[in-house]
Amino acid sequence: MKIFNILLFGLLCSTLSFGQGKFLTKQGYTSFFSTSPIEDIKADNNQVLSIIDSSTGNVAISILMKSFMFEKSLMQEHFNENYVESDTYPKAIFKGQILNFNKLDESEQIVTITGDITIHGVTKQIETKGKITKTKENILLTGDFPVTVADFKIEIPSIVANNIAKVVKVSFELDHKPYNK
Amino acid sequence: MTKKTNKKILIAGVIMLFVAAFISFKIYNKPHIDVSTATPNVSMKAGILLAEFLNDETEANKKYLEQIIQVSGTIAEIDTNKNGNAIIVLRKGDDIESVICHLSPEENKKTSNLKIGQEINIKGICTGYLMDVILIKCTITN
Repeated sequence: MKIFNILLFGLLCSTLSFGQGKFLTKQGYTSFFSTSPIEDIKADNNQVLSIIDSSTGNVAISILMKSFMFEKSLMQEHFNENYVESDTYPKAIFKGQILNFNKLDESEQIVTITGDITIHGVTKQIETKGKITKTKENILLTGDFPVTVADFKIEIPSIVANNIAKVVKVSFELDHKPYNK
Repeated sequence: MTKKTNKKILIAGVIMLFVAAFISFKIYNKPHIDVSTATPNVSMKAGILLAEFLNDETEANKKYLEQIIQVSGTIAEIDTNKNGNAIIVLRKGDDIESVICHLSPEENKKTSNLKIGQEINIKGICTGYLMDVILIKCTITN
């Protein structure tokens, strides 16, 4: 009887955890956009790593700062060397949770994502809304949120202060696939 | 001071202003590095590059970030990103980690005759390590 109970428990666990693995993308997209009266600056990054644990809705996102591509190489140089200092702080990281993740059905829905974001060595708590479509084959997460440059101790020299927005828009598009390793 | 010297100074000033404007315009529009024509800073096996990052990421970052690296390795996956640009994953056997090469859009046509398991040389700019070493703006060199 005892063995039967253990077997039953084991079976229950395996049914519960079925389809509750990790979803992952290594080619997620993120961009930031700064608009000012003088110029618009946009940078794209197609190498974002994002992992969703589909049993909890926990999310971990890692971004290489050097992977941001600018239209002008001078902007890219200034961004890496002077602003985000990517030699010292090569990654931006987000760790958080998609709220009410287990209540999602397969249609596109708006979710709240909360967690800690680390850029330039400074960690801030953020909460943002995103769109999510969760199926058995993929989890697509998209959205955008504002980032106040000064919050992350990123100093913009006064000579270019008018070229760069105080608040930049960060967008993301992360299409996760089941991860089997 | 005569009117003549005044005029000379004015002309010199205007010329200098033009030169300055031209130079700053040139700097502002400085082009990106063209990986396809650039000589790689370093050439190595994909597995060795990966091992260096696994062993000491900080040290490997210092050595390889923003460097043009030519790697040789075995193709484990051929994929495309959401813009249709090719991605080639170099991995040995059952390893979990790999070197992920994001190809330049100009290279997309070259991937059609590539096969999984084939040896290949690729050069690109190293932007760091996440679960894998990332190379971007890659071109196929053989």
